[in-house]
Amino acid sequence: MNSFSGSRTRAAGAVLHGAALVAMGLCWAVPAFADDAIRIVSPYQTTTLDPMRSAAAGNIETYGQLYSRLLRRNSETGALEPGLAEKWEISPDGKTYTFHLRDANFSDGSPITASDVAFSLERIRSDKKSAYPAPLGAVESVTAADPKTVLVTLKSAFAPFLGNAEIWNMGIVSKADVEKRGEEAAFASVPVTSGPYEVKQWKPNERLILEPNSHYWRKGYPKSDATVELIEVASPETRIAMLKAGEIDAVRAVPWAQVDELKAVDTIDMRLEPSTTIYMTLLNHKREPFSNLKARQAAGMAIDNKAMAKAITRGYAEPANTTLPGSVDFHDKDYPGIAYDPAKAKELLAESGMVGHEVKILAAADAPSQQTALLIQAQWQAIGLKPVIVNVDSGAWWDATGKGDYDAAANWWYNETPDPDLAVRWAVCGSCGSNSYNTFYANPKVDELVEQGTKEAEPVKRAEIYKEIQKVTTEEVAQIPLYYAPNAVAYSKRLQGLKLTPRCNGPWKRRPSASDPTQARPRIGACP
Amino acid sequence: MSLLQLIARRLLQLIGVLAGISLVTFLLVHMAPGDPARLMAGERASPETIAAIRSQYGLDLPLWRQFLTYLTNLVSGDIGLSLRFQRPVSQLIEQFMWPTLFLTGYVLCLAIPPTVALAILGARRPGGIADQIIRLVGIAGLTIPVFWLGIMMSRFFGVSLGWFPVSGYGTGFAGHLHHLFLPALSTAIWLVPVLTQSLRAALIEKTTADFVTAARAQGATERQIFWQTMLPNAVLPTLNLLGVMVAFMIGGAIIVETVYAVPGLGTLMVNALLGRDYYVVQGLTLIFAVSTVLITLMVDLLTAFIDPRVRL
Repeated sequence: MNSFSGSRTRAAGAVLHGAALVAMGLCWAVPAFADDAIRIVSPYQTTTLDPMRSAAAGNIETYGQLYSRLLRRNSETGALEPGLAEKWEISPDGKTYTFHLRDANFSDGSPITASDVAFSLERIRSDKKSAYPAPLGAVESVTAADPKTVLVTLKSAFAPFLGNAEIWNMGIVSKADVEKRGEEAAFASVPVTSGPYEVKQWKPNERLILEPNSHYWRKGYPKSDATVELIEVASPETRIAMLKAGEIDAVRAVPWAQVDELKAVDTIDMRLEPSTTIYMTLLNHKREPFSNLKARQAAGMAIDNKAMAKAITRGYAEPANTTLPGSVDFHDKDYPGIAYDPAKAKELLAESGMVGHEVKILAAADAPSQQTALLIQAQWQAIGLKPVIVNVDSGAWWDATGKGDYDAAANWWYNETPDPDLAVRWAVCGSCGSNSYNTFYANPKVDELVEQGTKEAEPVKRAEIYKEIQKVTTEEVAQIPLYYAPNAVAYSKRLQGLKLTPRCNGPWKRRPSASDPTQARPRIGACP
Repeated sequence: MSLLQLIARRLLQLIGVLAGISLVTFLLVHMAPGDPARLMAGERASPETIAAIRSQYGLDLPLWRQFLTYLTNLVSGDIGLSLRFQRPVSQLIEQFMWPTLFLTGYVLCLAIPPTVALAILGARRPGGIADQIIRLVGIAGLTIPVFWLGIMMSRFFGVSLGWFPVSGYGTGFAGHLHHLFLPALSTAIWLVPVLTQSLRAALIEKTTADFVTAARAQGATERQIFWQTMLPNAVLPTLNLLGVMVAFMIGGAIIVETVYAVPGLGTLMVNALLGRDYYVVQGLTLIFAVSTVLITLMVDLLTAFIDPRVRL
C-alpha cells in the first residue's frame, strides 16, 4: 500500500511491499465488451516476465496471468485442484510425487510436456539466478518419466509440497523456446506462455498489455475476450482520479484515507478484500538496544497496536496478535498477543539498562510507513528510548536492513500460500537463509520446530507446532506485530462484467469475526 | 565571431560537459545505497542469487572497470542496456521522449502569447492597476505548488467536469493535445509569471534607454519605437531565461508527469532512480546534458538573429 503524496519522493513501493508473494489471476465473471480493454492500475511494476527471476509484487501479478502451474486453487473453496497436472499420486513414504499431465498447449501451439515441467521447476529450484527457490527447498529432483509424467522426488516427506507447487513462481515455461531464444531474449518482450493470457505489448515502466491465450487449456477461460492492460501509476492521487474519471476499471492499493470517499461514489465499487497481509515492525536483534530481550518486550508493550490500526487504516484492519499473518493455516487466534502496558514497558526498559538508547527507525516514503514510524517514535519516546526516524527509498531500505544497519523498520508482507511453512521460514527462522526477515532473530528451538512442521502430516499435530512457534516468537518479540489489513481495491461499475472474484484465493482461514468477512489472499482474480 | 565558429565551439564544449557529467553521475548512482540486483529479484532472494545476478551484469567488478567499460561503449555510441528490462537504454528513452517533448512544446505554445501580452500590458504603465493585478496574480501562480495545482485541476476539470483526461498521453495529435492539456496548463501557470516578470522589467528598463530617446528624437511614432526598438531589445534576456526553462522542463517535468501519469522522461527517470537502473539514469543524464547544450546553442543563434550586435 504505498501511497505517496505528490512530489518526487515516489513510493518506495514496488519492492518494499514486503515479501509480497501471490499469484494473481484475473477472474472476469462475465465477459466485458469483446473489443474493449480492461484496465487495471497498480503501483506495482512489472520488471521481468521470467517467473524465475523475481519475487517482487508487480511481477507476481503478471506471472499469475501468463503461466499455469501444476495445480491451481479453487476460487470458491480454496481447495487445491488439478492444473496442468490432471492427477497425481503420492508414494506411501511421502517422498515421491507422480504428476500426470493433461493435454495442454503453450501460446505458440506446441504441447506442454513433462520435460517442460521438469525444466521449469528445475531452473526455479537450482538456477543460481532463481529469486525464490525456497518453496522447492525439499525437492531432490524433478524428472520427466515420459512425455506425460513428471516425477518429483523429495529429500524427505514435506507436508506443504502440493501447495508450494501451486504458487506464483512455479509457472511452467517452454523449454524449447527458452533454449532456442536464450534466457534473456525469451522473456524480453513476448514470452511463450502457458496461462490464460499472453503478452500483446510490453512497455516497461508504463504498461503491460495482455490478450487472451487462445491455446489456454481451460476451455472458455478467460471468460472475456477483452485485452487487459496492467498500468503502472505511482501516485495514489492519480490512480483514484483515473478511476473517478472513468479512465480505468480497477485500482489496487487504494490509500486508507480514500476508502470512505470512494465508498460514497455511485459508479465505484470499493471493496476490502481479505488478504494474508501482516503489518509489523522489524527489530534488529544484532545490536543494542534490541539484542536485549527485555528491551524488545518493552518496545512491544509500549505500542498500542489497536489504536495504531485504527489511526492508520481508519479501522479497516484488525490488530495483529502473533508474528504470523492472521489468515494462514494454524494461525493461533486465541493467543492474547503483546499487551499494551506502557508502565510495565518502562519498568522492563529500566531493567534492560537501555534507557535513553538511540533507536534508528527506517521509514519508506509511503503514507502508512511514515505514519507508523511517527506513531512508534512517539510511543517509544514515552518509555524512555531515543528514537530517530531515517527516511529512505526502497533500495536503501533493503540495503540497510540486509546489512543490519537499523534498529526498527515498519513494513508489511504477505504469504503466498495458506500453509504457514513459507511464512515461518521467511519471518522467524534463523537457519532458513532469510535471517528472519533481516531481523537476525535466531532461536534454534524455533528453527527445529519449523523443520518439524513440514515433516508432520497430521493437521492437529501441525497446528500444535505452529502454535508453539507463534507463542515463542511473539513472547520473544522477534518482530512487533501491528495489524492484519485487507486489500483495498476499487472497481468501476462501468464495465458490468468486471469482477475480480473476491474469494479467488479461497477461504483459508476460518475466523468467525464479522469484521473479517472472508479470509484468503485476494489474488485478484482469477481463477483461470 | 561567425555562427559556424560559435557552433564548433559549443560542440567542443559539449564533449567536455558530457565527460564530466558521465563521471559524476556514474559515481553518484553507484555510491548511493541500494542494489539493483536486490530490487530486481525481490526481497526473498538469497544472497547467492543476488551475487549471481551481480556477476552476470558485471556489477561485482571494481568501479573503475565498470566505468571503463561504460566509457568504451559510450565512445562507440552505445549507451548501454537497462539492467531491469534488458532493453537498450536508447530504446527506452526513445519510447518516453515523445510525451515530454510534446508537453514542452505545448507549454511553450500556452505560455508565450500570454507572457508577451501581460508583460506589455504591465510595462505600459508601471505601477498602474493592470500592472498591480498582473503582478499579484503572477505571484499567486508562482507560489502554488505544481503538484497541488495539478491534483486540484485533475479533480476539477478531469473528475468533476469530465472535460479532460487525468492521465496518459493519448493517441494521435488531437489525443495528445487533449491528454496533455492539464499538465501543460499546470506548468504554464507557473512559467508565465516567471517570464512575464523578466520581460516586463526589461521593457521598463528599455523605455529610458539612449536608443529609445534617439529614436524618439528622430521622429519615430511611439508604436514604431515599441515594436521595432524596445521589444526586440527587451526580449533577449527573457529568451535566455526561456532557454533555461525549456531545458529544465525536458529534464525536470517530473512532478507534472507523476501527477498526470504521463509516460515521459521524468517518469522514466524517477523509476530508474528508484530501481537503481544505473545505465538508464546515466543515459538520461547524458540526454539532458545534450539537450541543455543544444537549447542554449539555439537560443544563442536566435539572439544573434534578433540582435545584430551579437554577430559583430
